[in-house]
Amino acid sequence: MKDTFSGLHPIVNFTYFTAVILFSMFFMHPVFLGFSLVSALIYSIYLNGIKAAKFNFLYMLPLLLLVALINPLFNHEGVTILLFINDNPITYESIIYGIASATMFISVIIWFSCYNSVVTSDKFIYLFGKIIPSLSLILSMTLRFVPKFKAQIKVISNAQKCIGRDVSNGNVLQRARNGIKIISILITWALENSIETADSMKCRGYGLKGRTSFSNYRFDKRDKSVLGTICGLILLMIFGMVLGENTIDYFPSIIFKEITIISAIVYIGYAALLLIPVALNIMEDIKWYHLKSKI
Amino acid sequence: MVSFEIKDLSFFYPNSEKKALNNINIQIEQGEFITICGKSGCGKSTLLRHLKPILTPHGDKTGEIFFEGQPLLKMNLREQASKIGYVLQNPDNQIVTDKVWHELAFGLESLGLDNATIRLRIAEMASFFGIQDWFMKDVAELSGGQKQLLNLASIMAMQPQVLILDEPTSQLDPIAASEFLETVKKINREIGTTVILSEHRLEEVFPMSDRAVVMDNGEIIVCDTPQNVGERLKKNENDMYVSMPSAVQIYGGIESNLPCPLTVREGRKFLDSLGLKPNDEYITEKKQAKNPAETVICLNDVWFKYEKSGKDIIKGLSLEVKKGMIHAIVGGNGTGKTTALTLINGVNKPYRGKVKLNGKEIAKYSGKELFSNNLGVLPQNPQALFVKNTVELDLLEMLSDKHLSQEEKSNKVNEVAELVEITDRLQMHPYDLSGGEQQKAALAKVLLLEPKILLLDEPTKGLDNFFKIKLGGILNKLISNGVTVLLVSHDIEFCAKFADVCSMFFDGSVITTNTPKMFFSGNSFYTTAANRMSRHLFRNAITNEDVIKSCNQS
Repeated sequence: MKDTFSGLHPIVNFTYFTAVILFSMFFMHPVFLGFSLVSALIYSIYLNGIKAAKFNFLYMLPLLLLVALINPLFNHEGVTILLFINDNPITYESIIYGIASATMFISVIIWFSCYNSVVTSDKFIYLFGKIIPSLSLILSMTLRFVPKFKAQIKVISNAQKCIGRDVSNGNVLQRARNGIKIISILITWALENSIETADSMKCRGYGLKGRTSFSNYRFDKRDKSVLGTICGLILLMIFGMVLGENTIDYFPSIIFKEITIISAIVYIGYAALLLIPVALNIMEDIKWYHLKSKI
Repeated sequence: MVSFEIKDLSFFYPNSEKKALNNINIQIEQGEFITICGKSGCGKSTLLRHLKPILTPHGDKTGEIFFEGQPLLKMNLREQASKIGYVLQNPDNQIVTDKVWHELAFGLESLGLDNATIRLRIAEMASFFGIQDWFMKDVAELSGGQKQLLNLASIMAMQPQVLILDEPTSQLDPIAASEFLETVKKINREIGTTVILSEHRLEEVFPMSDRAVVMDNGEIIVCDTPQNVGERLKKNENDMYVSMPSAVQIYGGIESNLPCPLTVREGRKFLDSLGLKPNDEYITEKKQAKNPAETVICLNDVWFKYEKSGKDIIKGLSLEVKKGMIHAIVGGNGTGKTTALTLINGVNKPYRGKVKLNGKEIAKYSGKELFSNNLGVLPQNPQALFVKNTVELDLLEMLSDKHLSQEEKSNKVNEVAELVEITDRLQMHPYDLSGGEQQKAALAKVLLLEPKILLLDEPTKGLDNFFKIKLGGILNKLISNGVTVLLVSHDIEFCAKFADVCSMFFDGSVITTNTPKMFFSGNSFYTTAANRMSRHLFRNAITNEDVIKSCNQS
C-alpha cells in the first residue's frame, strides 16, 4: 500500500519521527504508553502489511512478556510486597513498572521499523546535506561504492578461483593467503578506478566555488499544514509535561495526576500526534473512494 | 566559426624521449563531427586530453590551442567545465553518485545553479535521452549501456559547446554501442554540438563523421573526409588499413578507380559496379575437422538458474567441444553465454544435466586437478588477476607453489612472455599496460598453469584490430600445441576470422553449431559485414580477405 505520509517533505517525516520516538521513550504514563504502542502497531501494519503483523506478534509480543517478567525478578523496589522468592520481595510496583518499560521498549522498536521504511537513505542524505553539503556527496558516493565493491569482489574471487587461488582452495593457511590476495587486488583496482572517477568529477567542475546541493523534494502547502499541526501538538505535549500531566512515579509507590479536563486534552493531543500518518492515509482512501464512485 | 584550433602542438611525457604528440595542426569547425582513429598508444587519448586543460597530463608541451578564438589556457575553470564536455572510456568509473537523478545533477551542482534551474535542465536531458523510466533508480541497477548513456546525459546537462568522447563504446556490447553512437549522432545533428570522438570500432562511426583523423606515432597522417581517407590510405599502403570498416578494407584490396564505399550498402554497390560474376567456389574451408576428434568438453542437457524461484538462465544446453579447435560461442547480450562458461569452469553448478571434461564429470575434479595442467580461464577483466608490482613478478607468482629452481621458473616465464609477445613489458606495472597488453599479460598468467583447455570470456573487448589479429595468432599457436580453446564473444568479425567452429547461443542454449563458413553464410543478419556486402556474389566469403580473394580471382 502506498503511504501518503511518506510522500511528504523529508523535514516533515523527520520531525514527526523524532518527536514520536522521543516522547515514546520518556512518557512512562500508562495512557501515553498505551497510545504509543497501539498507534505504532497500526502504522507499522499499514506500512508493511502482513509482514509487520507477523513480526509484531511472533517477536515483539514474546519480547514484551519477557521484559515484563524479568523486571520484578531483579528490581525489588516498591512498597507493596506481594510475595517472597528466595527471600527476595516481589513488589506490585516493580511488576507494573516492568510492564510499562516493556511496552515502552517494544513501541520504540516498532516506531523505528516505521521510521526505516519512511525515511529512506536519500531522504536522510538530503536532510543532512542541507546542514553539511559535502557530507551528502560523501554519503552518496559511499552508497555507490558498496554495490560496486561487492560486484568487483565477486569478479575477482571468480577469476582467482579459476586459477586455483580462491578462498575455497587449499589448506587453512593458503585460504587465508588467497583471501588477503583478493582484498589486495580489490584495493589496487579500486584505487586505479578512482583516478578515472576523479577525472570525471573534475570534468564536471567539481571543486568550483559555490557548489549547490540539488534535491528532488519540494516544500508545498500540504507540507506546511502538516508540519504546523505536528509542531502545535508537540507544543501541547511540552505544555502537558510542564503541568506534569504525562509523568508518573513508579517508586516507592505509584503516583500520577488525577484525570482532569486538561489532562484529557493532552491525552487526545498525544493520540492525534501519533495517528497523523494513519489519519492522512485514511483521508486519502476516502477521497479516492469518492472519486471512484463518481466515475 | 572555429571551435578548436591546434597549432604546432608537440608533447613529451616526463622522462620520455619519444614525442607522444608530434607537430599537430588541425582546425575544427563548430558543429563538426570528427573521428580520431589509430592504433592503441598512437596518442589519441593524449591529444583529446589536451583539449580539456584540467585533464591534460603533465609533461613538456610546445605549441598552442585556441578555443573559439581564445587561448585555451586562459579560459577559466568554470567556463571550461561547462563548455567542454568530456566522456571517458569506462562507464562504471565515471559515475560518482548512487542515484541516476543525482548523477545528472552533479555537474550543475558544481556550477552552483539553483534548484529550479537544475530541475529544468535535468528534465530536459531525461526527456531527450529517454531516461525518465529509470530516473529514480540506483545506478547499480543499470546495464553498461545505460550507464554510459547516463554519463553522456550528465555531461550534456551542462550544455557544452564541444563534446569530446574518448573511446566511449569500448566496454559496451555491439547493440549498446550502436545505440550510444546513434545518440551522439543525434546530439550532433539536432543540437549542433561539435563532436570529437576516438574509436576502434569504425564500422558505424565512419559514415557518421564529417572528417576522420588518422594518427600514428603521435602524428596526424591523414585528416580528410572518411571517403578520401580510405582512398588516401590505399595509396600510402598504410598498415592502419586493418582498423578501417570492412567496406574500406575490401575497397583497398581491389584495383579500381571508383570512389571509396563506407557502409555495407555502398559496399554492395561498389562490388556490383565491378561487374563480377557470382561464384561460390573460390573459398573453401580453412581446414577440415580432424575426424574423429576427441571430445574434450561435453555438456549434456544442462539446466541452470541462480535461485530456486528464479528464471532458468541455461535451458537444456548440449554442447561438444572437440580437441585442438577454436570453438566460438556467439550470440546477443544476456542470452546466458557467460553463465555457460561458469558452468564449465565449475564456478556455478547445474541443477540438471552433466558437464564433463575429458569424459569425467566436473564436480568430481578437485580444485587442484581442475586448474593445473587442465583448465585455464581468462576472465573478462584482466585486472582481476594482477597481484604484483611488475608483470614479471606477477608471472613468477603463478609458479610459487611449484617445486622448480629459480632458473627453471624464469625460463618458463620468458617462454610464455615470448609466446604472447610481452617480453619488453615485463618490468612494468600491470596497470600501466594498455588494455591489449593487459589482456596478453593475463593470458600469459593463465598459460603458466599449462592448461589443455582454455576458456576465454570476451577476449576482444576494448581491443583494437591490431591486437585482435595478434590475439588470433597467439590462439592459433596454442591450438597447434594441442590446446583446445573455447571462447565466448560478441565479436563476429573475430570469430569469422579465427574460429574453427561457431555456435549460436540464444535463450539459454545453443541453436546451431557449424564451421564459420557454413555458419555465417547461412545467416542473413547475424553475420559479418563482408558477408552482408558480398553474399549476392560469393555466398561463402565471410571475411574481408575472402571477398578480396574472390574478387581478384573472378
